[in-house]
Amino acid sequence: MNTNHTTQFTIDDLRRIMRESAGQDEAVDLEGDILDTHFQELGYDSLALLETTSRIAREYGIAIADEDLDGAESPGALLQLVNQALTRV
Amino acid sequence: MDNRADIRPARDVALLFPGQGAQQRHMARGLYRRRADFRDRMDEVFDAWGPGAAELRDDWLAEHPGVDLDALEHAQPLLFAVDWALGRTVLDWGVRPVALLGHSVGEVAAAALAGVFTLQEAAGLMADRVAQLADTPAGGMLAVHASAEQLSGYLGADVVVGAVNGPRQVLLAGPQEPLDAAERRLRADGFTCRRARAGKPFHSPALAAAAELALPGLVGLPLRPPQLPLHSAYRPGPMSARTATDPCFWARQPAAPVLFGPALDGLLAARDVLLLEAGPGQGLTGLARRHPAVTSGRSAVLPLSPVRSGDDASDLETLRAAAELLADAGHLT
Repeated sequence: MNTNHTTQFTIDDLRRIMRESAGQDEAVDLEGDILDTHFQELGYDSLALLETTSRIAREYGIAIADEDLDGAESPGALLQLVNQALTRV
Repeated sequence: MDNRADIRPARDVALLFPGQGAQQRHMARGLYRRRADFRDRMDEVFDAWGPGAAELRDDWLAEHPGVDLDALEHAQPLLFAVDWALGRTVLDWGVRPVALLGHSVGEVAAAALAGVFTLQEAAGLMADRVAQLADTPAGGMLAVHASAEQLSGYLGADVVVGAVNGPRQVLLAGPQEPLDAAERRLRADGFTCRRARAGKPFHSPALAAAAELALPGLVGLPLRPPQLPLHSAYRPGPMSARTATDPCFWARQPAAPVLFGPALDGLLAARDVLLLEAGPGQGLTGLARRHPAVTSGRSAVLPLSPVRSGDDASDLETLRAAAELLADAGHLT
């Protein structure tokens, strides 16, 4: 992995995009240490999560395979996945 | 983010019951194996079910079920059973809900708890429904990240809005081919879509004729006004005695749209509550967690099941933790 790129996508980037993907006008509570919290516990079901990743993919010009996404059940795991994809761009 | 702290201000409890799509392999199995209270209630449902109950139970408990658990004949009865048994367990603890709101088949479980049907009658309705819908065309439901208004251009005679779960979560329903076509168009236009786990075009006109077959059985039942504050997701709001005792209202549910989002909006606008999801998974909990009434802290939400089933210890721990929080908040008598 190219370490120069590993911090391109941060938890705050993810928080912003998750909020945009929530489908509600008011902000979802994503404060605090959410890296290892299950997406479902944050209120993100599979559809809201897919919306989140497709927004990330569009904005950052990357592709994330659905199979990979299945294993990413927390913001921390998704961050890792996105940053791996960014190093491949 | 601390879900535990924010249920502290004592609020009235509202129960939510999930429907098709919430089924999971081994859902609530840990409770059945390890908690006598839940097990007794589940066994009541199996006893009420009659023929086929033993197979249903065995398929549910089997380590490697040899059947499709998403199929109508497994998913619908087991969802009904787990919803009812979990709801009954919570009522047994002394929780006095100010509202019961179910999604799809969850509304039948809620109605049975509210006394519209006896358990026996509700199980009979479910068994009839499974048999009556068996020969309907294959199809499904497609979750789309969009509002119902945004989807108007993708609907037709076959493909309809089957459920409105929230401002940006709609499920389209229809037979296989037209639903596939709608999905291709939606994806091409940049909408995020996901197939729901349903093998039938639930809540669409494709099931209308088969759904009507339930009418003679329902007409023969002494439907009763709800004895608990039952809400409806088909006619969002508190369910009137007139609606609850209308056989047509119950018969048409498999072919009628579920307006769960608007029903939840109404419930949360009327009062601040602690929402308890009584059923497998945390699907309705997730919808509620993104709701402005919950994100603002006015209302709160507490699931009784883990996100994923299959681990007995996590089934037990999730329910135990919920009971503890309810006891602390003074809901258990």
